[in-house]
Amino acid sequence: MSDPSGIHPSALQLTIDGASVAVAPGTTIFDAARISGIAIPTLCHQQNETPVGVCRICLVEAGGRVLSAACVRPAENGMTVLTGSERVLAARRTLLELMMADHPSPCARQKQSGDCELETMAQRAGVAEPRYPKRPSSRGQDDSSFSIAVDHEACILCDRCIRGCDEIRTNNVLGRRGKGFDAGIAFDLNQPMGNSSCVSCGECMVSCPTGALTNKSVVRAVLPGGVPAEAEDLLAIPAFQKVSGTFLELNKNSVVRRQFKKGEIICREGEYGSTAFYMLEGTVEVFLASPMAHVKTEGGTTGFFHKIASRLAPRRQDHRQDENDRPSIPIDASVDLSYDNPVAQLGPGELFGEMTCMSRYPRSATVRAATDCTVLEMLRNVLDIMLRNKSVKSEIERNYKRRALMDHLRSVPLFAPLTDSFMDSLSEAAKLVRYSAGDVICRQGDIADALYLVRIGFVKVTTSHPGGEMVEAYLGRGSYFGEIGLLRKGARTATVSALDHVDLVRIEADDFRRMMDAFPDVRRELERISMERLLQNRKRAEAGGAVPLSQFLAQGLMEAQSLLVLDLEKCTRCDQCVKACADAHGGTTRLIREGLRFDNFLIATSCRQCRDPLCMVGCPVGAIRRRGSLEVIIEDWCIGCGLCAKNCPYGNINMQPVTVTEQRDGKSVAVVKQKATSCDLCTDHEEPSCVYACPHDAAHRVDPNEFFRRIQG
Amino acid sequence: MAHKRTTKSLAQRIDLSYFKQLYPLPFWRRVLTFSGAAAVLIWFAWQGLSGRAGAYNAGPLSKPHASLQARCESCHAPAAGGATFNRKVAEQNCLSCHNPAIHHAQQTFTPTCESCHVEHTNAESLTAMMDESCTQCHASLKTSQGSPKVAASIASFSEGHPEIAVIKTGASDPGTVKFNHQVHLKKDLRSLRGVVDLKCADCHRPAGSSEIWPYADPKLVSAGSRIWAKAPQAYMAPMSYELHCSGCHPLTFDSHIAEPAPHKEPPIVQEFVVSRLRDYIRLNPQAVFEAAALDPKIPRRADQRTPHNAAEWTTMHTQDADLLLWKKTCAECHTPSLKGTDLPEIPRANLTARWLTHASFDHGAHQMLTCTACHSQAPESQKTSDVLLPKIAVCQQCHHAGSQAADSRCSECHLYHDPTMKKPIEGKYSLFDFR
Amino acid sequence: MRIDGTHRPWIVTTSCLFVAATVFYVWYASHAPAGPRGGSLQGLIFGISGYALMLFAGLLSARKKKPVWRLGRTKTWMRGHLWLGLLSFPLILYHAGFASRGPLTRLLMILMYIVIGSGVVGALFQHYLPRLMTSQVPLETIYEQIPRVREKLQEEADRVIVTACGSLEGTSPDDIGAMRALIAIEYGEKVKLRQFYTEHVRPFLQQPDDAAAPLRHALRSQESFSGIRTILPETLHPALEDLEEICEEERQLILQKKLYVWLHGWLVVHVPLSIVLLLLGGVHAVMALRY
Repeated sequence: MSDPSGIHPSALQLTIDGASVAVAPGTTIFDAARISGIAIPTLCHQQNETPVGVCRICLVEAGGRVLSAACVRPAENGMTVLTGSERVLAARRTLLELMMADHPSPCARQKQSGDCELETMAQRAGVAEPRYPKRPSSRGQDDSSFSIAVDHEACILCDRCIRGCDEIRTNNVLGRRGKGFDAGIAFDLNQPMGNSSCVSCGECMVSCPTGALTNKSVVRAVLPGGVPAEAEDLLAIPAFQKVSGTFLELNKNSVVRRQFKKGEIICREGEYGSTAFYMLEGTVEVFLASPMAHVKTEGGTTGFFHKIASRLAPRRQDHRQDENDRPSIPIDASVDLSYDNPVAQLGPGELFGEMTCMSRYPRSATVRAATDCTVLEMLRNVLDIMLRNKSVKSEIERNYKRRALMDHLRSVPLFAPLTDSFMDSLSEAAKLVRYSAGDVICRQGDIADALYLVRIGFVKVTTSHPGGEMVEAYLGRGSYFGEIGLLRKGARTATVSALDHVDLVRIEADDFRRMMDAFPDVRRELERISMERLLQNRKRAEAGGAVPLSQFLAQGLMEAQSLLVLDLEKCTRCDQCVKACADAHGGTTRLIREGLRFDNFLIATSCRQCRDPLCMVGCPVGAIRRRGSLEVIIEDWCIGCGLCAKNCPYGNINMQPVTVTEQRDGKSVAVVKQKATSCDLCTDHEEPSCVYACPHDAAHRVDPNEFFRRIQG
Repeated sequence: MAHKRTTKSLAQRIDLSYFKQLYPLPFWRRVLTFSGAAAVLIWFAWQGLSGRAGAYNAGPLSKPHASLQARCESCHAPAAGGATFNRKVAEQNCLSCHNPAIHHAQQTFTPTCESCHVEHTNAESLTAMMDESCTQCHASLKTSQGSPKVAASIASFSEGHPEIAVIKTGASDPGTVKFNHQVHLKKDLRSLRGVVDLKCADCHRPAGSSEIWPYADPKLVSAGSRIWAKAPQAYMAPMSYELHCSGCHPLTFDSHIAEPAPHKEPPIVQEFVVSRLRDYIRLNPQAVFEAAALDPKIPRRADQRTPHNAAEWTTMHTQDADLLLWKKTCAECHTPSLKGTDLPEIPRANLTARWLTHASFDHGAHQMLTCTACHSQAPESQKTSDVLLPKIAVCQQCHHAGSQAADSRCSECHLYHDPTMKKPIEGKYSLFDFR
Repeated sequence: MRIDGTHRPWIVTTSCLFVAATVFYVWYASHAPAGPRGGSLQGLIFGISGYALMLFAGLLSARKKKPVWRLGRTKTWMRGHLWLGLLSFPLILYHAGFASRGPLTRLLMILMYIVIGSGVVGALFQHYLPRLMTSQVPLETIYEQIPRVREKLQEEADRVIVTACGSLEGTSPDDIGAMRALIAIEYGEKVKLRQFYTEHVRPFLQQPDDAAAPLRHALRSQESFSGIRTILPETLHPALEDLEEICEEERQLILQKKLYVWLHGWLVVHVPLSIVLLLLGGVHAVMALRY
């Protein structure tokens, strides 16, 4: 498809619409016409792509019995080409009319920018209203991609997108599927676009002549406070290399450049948002503005009366046996905050707010500009493209490895005794892998080949039983899984699937085994822990096999591992339990004396320590978690976003004001902050305060299966 | 379905700080508690500041002490030696109005006044004691000289109360007057007044009785009455010759002289006899020469002489009278001791006016009974030495424990404070003190 | 509270102590020189032990103020309050020798009778009423929050009507215009439902304590609702069911309020008078010992 600059010795001579033109051999009629200034209308032909001649719009009379497609027919010497004869026009008209018959006019592109090539052409040819009926079945839409909307109804199977993806971008995602009437374009093996290996470069969208592939305008909303970033400027940033410029152009308003002066707050913890931030210049401080208020049972005694009280109300030492698991608070950035000093710094090239943007979780920390800085704030579609960008991916990986991975690895207790050098080599070998919502990371029964650590997002661990699936746990940032399968050199014992946009650190089995051989103590420790977990799981599975009663099930009591039941025949409704709970928890009650009844018992609204703790999904700072034993606790650093309260189906978690003294300007100020509160089984005492304080022996914390089996007799 | 009850929807209806507020019932509980407590304190302060006794008044006083109701300090005075908290009743306070004697010199401890005399009980009298006041010692008596044998283990009137002392010791009536109850109480007793039937009450009456003595010489009655006024009211008046015997046993000594001799010591009788005889012979000188009629009652002397003159006549008749009197008339009841020709000595009658020295007895309270109901041995008694007191068993027939028996408390008959040692106190109050 | 088998150790102990005290009293009263008196040694023993038990009983309120402190379970204190408190009654009677002559002591005796009596009555209430409440009020809620719950029920009922009938006030027929003919029947029913709601149900929900409302009575309510249900089409029946359930809950809340007042109202007599009794008892103890 070269455009000969001069007359070639072996040039061909042909006449197009009466004008004579000489072209090099191999030139197509289309190119020849283009050289002589005649534009032949096309739909499936794009200049930077190999012509395929499928749409037939570029038909011309070339002296044969049939009309020829100008984009693929090579010019011959002495050819007479008519591009606008009656026959050609009639054919073109018919073709357009037929195509318009199946076209959902006005299609998305026509609506958006009025430049659907098919519709424009049809309008001009006067066949905007086809006489033929539409095809009876819809070809469907595909909304799964964050950035590109697929409307198969508008697709004319011109293959421009396929060629764009294969030839121009060499991503090789798009292809054809089906035959004849069922033919269509497909991503990978006919996956939804969002789940395919599509990198959202936007080339297909840019190539598409109609509204079959359009830019998703999430962007009618304007990102306040910033200057829309120009495509050229963005492309200059290494993170945006290889992103389609057209895409950036189209999504101009989805990414803005913002300047912050030193000391300005960029985002606040607990707020809901939809954007992520990418640092260009300057440094920011990441910290938890919420005071570390005790939302759990009071620990520590200060003051004379408290000391007396503590002697009267003896408390076990605050065990926190699994405190070593979490020396740090997991947040939505490339670094975790240390519990003792929850402040960290981020610099240029670092990304934060990913989980908020991708999965709509509340902001996990407060970010304040430590110096004057420039950041890019972007919406999900832009972030998605950025993250799929290989260079960005490796940058994130690098940052994460440098800043947080070591801590995460160290937080796995069995890695604790390893030497630093070994840990370094292990972290080098670690890879970041990404999953989307619903993806299965590993399946029960598969051969174990890797250990995983969660960098961002939430995964669900389930085991399948004859009766159905049972959720074992939800794991968030900083947790690990897969070690049992690795150790036993056998099959996975549970299925792990991604709940939302998840990034995992993956450590291969071989490296793992190397570790095992070099450190036999670690192996023993690991074996012990994994045995414990297996036994726990088995016990839970066995308990789950008890025959439930219909009401039992209907109230979700099967899910509970511990219920607070009030015997209504003994209860005098005196509220002592509630008052005791509030007394033991600094004035906020963790139990409400209301709820549904079972038999003559009231199932009080108080944490049930569910097997499937829905409350834990989505906590941006991982504050709500289970300790080694049963109880669900909410740690001090809860930022009060309220997600767990919304998630709990029984209303057991409530947002309540917690007063704490802060140091501000050297003075102690009482500050009231909303924190999530829920029953923690009073582990600081020998038994729950509500049970202890009931004057009529009416309140009991019971295991539901045992208890109700006993009731039934 | 709009109205679906789920745990979450129910729980979210509740405001989580409801239990911190005060709702009406707890509010009123609290208000009433505080106001009740305040009322108590205010009342207490008012009582204290205005000197009222409401806070410590233990009840109305007994009737005898009623005039002290408003004067707590008469009994509850602070202990000697400065004001102390203690306002217990000290014995000094009782002694300012009363001066009871101790019970017995050898008692080992003296109970406090208030341990027996319990006040503030609105009692009619403070002297009626429960048996326990006495049996606290007398149930197993110990004295300063060791354990006595009498009155040592008395539990109540029915249990352990010793027999009446005089009966127990088997003592005899020390009276020297010879008297035979059986004869006197005989039916159809022949007497100077004809045939009579004596009844107990003809002789034995409580002192102060104003009824006519049927067997008294009317001329002698007033002399006897004067004696009785001194006798205790509850007891039978002691026997008196003038009131009880003179009617049937006149002390006539001579047929010429109607007037009986006075019932006095022999010298007086002698003088009376002599003077009457002299008076007679002086008035009737011719009687000297009358033959002395033989009087069968008079024991004859061996030598029978004829009087020649008045003096001889007087002497002779005096001798006859002496014989009659000393050997018969007086000897009827008394035991004159004759010593030759001297005047006899007649031992004192020694009639016992009061038999029960350690207990009081009121015949008036028992007047509905016949005399012989208790003194059953009287009609058969022939000798003076018979003690005709009923045994204690007779008393115990009616006076025993139980609500339907006569009162058998110790205090019914006995006194704690020795009445013989009673001394009057020196009064030191004026009327103003009691108004 | 249920006085059940778990109280047995307490009952047995209290009975034994009572028997022992009675025996002691009978022996003492029959041997006292002046009869049984509060001030004698035995009388003082009875008085002190009786008062000590009363003090312990009175401290139950204080114990409940610090429910978390490990001073012994409130359950134990409650049982002690019941049984040892009951035991203090005969002990005080023995202390007084069954007499009360002074003004203060008479008042104390009367107060004691009232306090013990109200306590026994209250214990019976708290034994029987919870069971009654549980069976009679299945839709029970927290008593203190009844006004708030009622508000929410009222709002919910309003929402039901708004969803079913469009609006609470109703639109006048003229606004419908041309569509009137088409939807006349449907519209008419909605008006009826709305009318029923605004005339009968809403007033009841707003003033549930008003005794005159016919919906206060379960049977009459059932009749009303079945009546209106017959004339309304099936599409509106779910709304009626919701309303009926809400009315039922309101009725149960009325009953709950009544039962709750019985369950806890006697405390307004028992607690203040017991404090007065304890204070006056202390005054009496000091004054009697002084004098």
